[in-house]
Amino acid sequence: MINMSTRLTSIAAAAAIVLGGTLSISTAVAVDAKVLEEGKTLAFKRKDGNCLACHVIEGGEAAGNIGPPLMMMKIRYPDKAVLRAQIWDSSVRNAETAMPLFGKYGILSESDLDKVVEYIHTL
Amino acid sequence: MKNLPGKLLLLSVVAAIAATAQAASEQPTPERDKEVFENRFKERFPDVAREEFANGVYAIDPIGRESWEAIEEFPPYELFIDDGKEMWDAPFANGKTYKDCFADGPGIAHKYPHWDKEQGMVMTLPLALNQCRESQGEKPLKYKKGSINNILSYIAMESRGEVTNVVIPEDDPRALDAYEKGKKFYYTRRGQLNFACAACHVQNPGMKIRSDMLSPALGQTTHFPVYRSKWGTIGTLHRRFTGCNKQVRAKPFKAQGEEYRNLEYFLTYMSNGLTLNGPGARK
Amino acid sequence: MNMKKMTAMLCLGAIVAIAGQSVFAAEKQAAPKAEAADKAAAKSPESSGDNAAAEAAIAAAESARKKAASVDGEWRDTGKMIKKAQAALKAGDSAKAIKLAKKAEKQGKLGYEQAQAQQTLKMPSYLKY
Ligand code: HEC
Ligand code: HEC
Repeated sequence: MINMSTRLTSIAAAAAIVLGGTLSISTAVAVDAKVLEEGKTLAFKRKDGNCLACHVIEGGEAAGNIGPPLMMMKIRYPDKAVLRAQIWDSSVRNAETAMPLFGKYGILSESDLDKVVEYIHTL
Repeated sequence: MKNLPGKLLLLSVVAAIAATAQAASEQPTPERDKEVFENRFKERFPDVAREEFANGVYAIDPIGRESWEAIEEFPPYELFIDDGKEMWDAPFANGKTYKDCFADGPGIAHKYPHWDKEQGMVMTLPLALNQCRESQGEKPLKYKKGSINNILSYIAMESRGEVTNVVIPEDDPRALDAYEKGKKFYYTRRGQLNFACAACHVQNPGMKIRSDMLSPALGQTTHFPVYRSKWGTIGTLHRRFTGCNKQVRAKPFKAQGEEYRNLEYFLTYMSNGLTLNGPGARK
Repeated sequence: MNMKKMTAMLCLGAIVAIAGQSVFAAEKQAAPKAEAADKAAAKSPESSGDNAAAEAAIAAAESARKKAASVDGEWRDTGKMIKKAQAALKAGDSAKAIKLAKKAEKQGKLGYEQAQAQQTLKMPSYLKY
């Protein structure tokens, strides 16, 4: 069911683009607190995102510093899709990346990755 | 006139082949690799003396160094050295000892790894010890944990002060090939987390992964076997390779298999000139 | 799953790409969809209880794993996943077996591609030759 509606929405999205009008989207979709909480847990846990291994994140302990601190994400990534792409496959932007390819290599499932993106975007 | 394009084509093909041949011959030599490798660490840690790199992460981590120096006052590997000396002296069932295989022992760690022309492979100390045992009718020891570390500790202790000096003999092209394979292994990304050894120990030494500081690759081979607090015991270099492969979710290779021996050959060569100071103690 | 959010993200990704500001955002949107379809297939009711399908999925996973191993590209957990899939099949849960086998097969393929992409050694730029 979920997959079905995902496909439908993507068809709808494509259609909207084909129509090409002045599409206005409210980016301020309210993200519920549960998703953010789950995203945070996934980002912190060693077995899942383990983002803390390399990034300082507010509220996280024993963080590493191989990557830059994750902060001011909304300003630096106004487009959530760009943030998602960075986490999905960081080698696109940097062939010598020292960050795992969380989406491409299936470290996080697509739905978990969505949650992580939602959480990271609030930083 | 008709022929001109054809000739031009031929010419450019010839030129292309010549260029490739030249590129192939421009493959950096091991000497050049080492120079570039060392420069990386010199640049990154300009205040650290070259000899210091033999101390691993403690060359660059002043806080970790303090507790390490305290630990070294009562070294946790001492018992293993004692047990290793007993092993070295004790006769095999046939009455012979390790000394019958290694006439210049026990201080022989600096002679490994080396290219063994006869067997056509990289010979490491643990492998040589087991070949000795087997030639004397004894069972081989396990390569990662257990008593092999005792005898290795004793030999390491007796070899302190010797200098790393891996040779890639020019009279056997297979030796250079083994080195190149080890080098390729070192710079190849592996595992679900997509890391090459170099990504941690050459690209990011001094940075922290969680609360562990990454050690520079330079000097990593001088002090094995290593007593690791995390292991609660002492382990071989190939045990460490296994751990570093596993943590990036790559399937580890066989200890003392060809891959890890070639890797050891390359990595130890990179530390040529550094003084042996094993066994070591690490977090 | 938050539908509104999905829609917004998909639209955003597509629009950004159209605007030509960021091509990669859109490219990366395509891959997840393919995977979602895969998952749907594994979960669909027709396949649960289908032993033959599970056996085939496990065989495919095993051959993908071997192919990755042949180029030294095997990942740590692929073999374990296949063992778990076999156990699930034995226990009669073929849907679970298929799901695990598909995951393992994907890992095998990715590990192989990862190794193949690095067939010729390219020294990193931070080493100054
Ligand atoms: C092993 C280290 C490592 C881990 C684990 C890691 N990252 Fe990164 N990350 C990096 C590095 C290094 C960079 C810098 C860019 C590069 O190397 O590709 C980076 C860059 C980023 C950026 C871009 C930062 C910016 O300032 O533009 C984001 C966003 C990011 N990471 C998010 C994450 C998230 C979310 C996770 C956990 C799911 C994560 N990272 C896990 C190493 C890591
Ligand atoms: C994700 C990062 C990472 C990768 C990739 C990695 N290592 Fe390590 N390695 C570590 C950490 C962390 C330690 C423990 C702290 C230290 O000494 O760096 C360590 C320790 C070591 C040590 C022991 C150093 C000492 O002084 O005792 C050796 C040797 C080593 N690694 C070799 C390798 C080799 C060879 C590879 C590739 C197969 C590799 N590492 C890949 C993180 C990594």
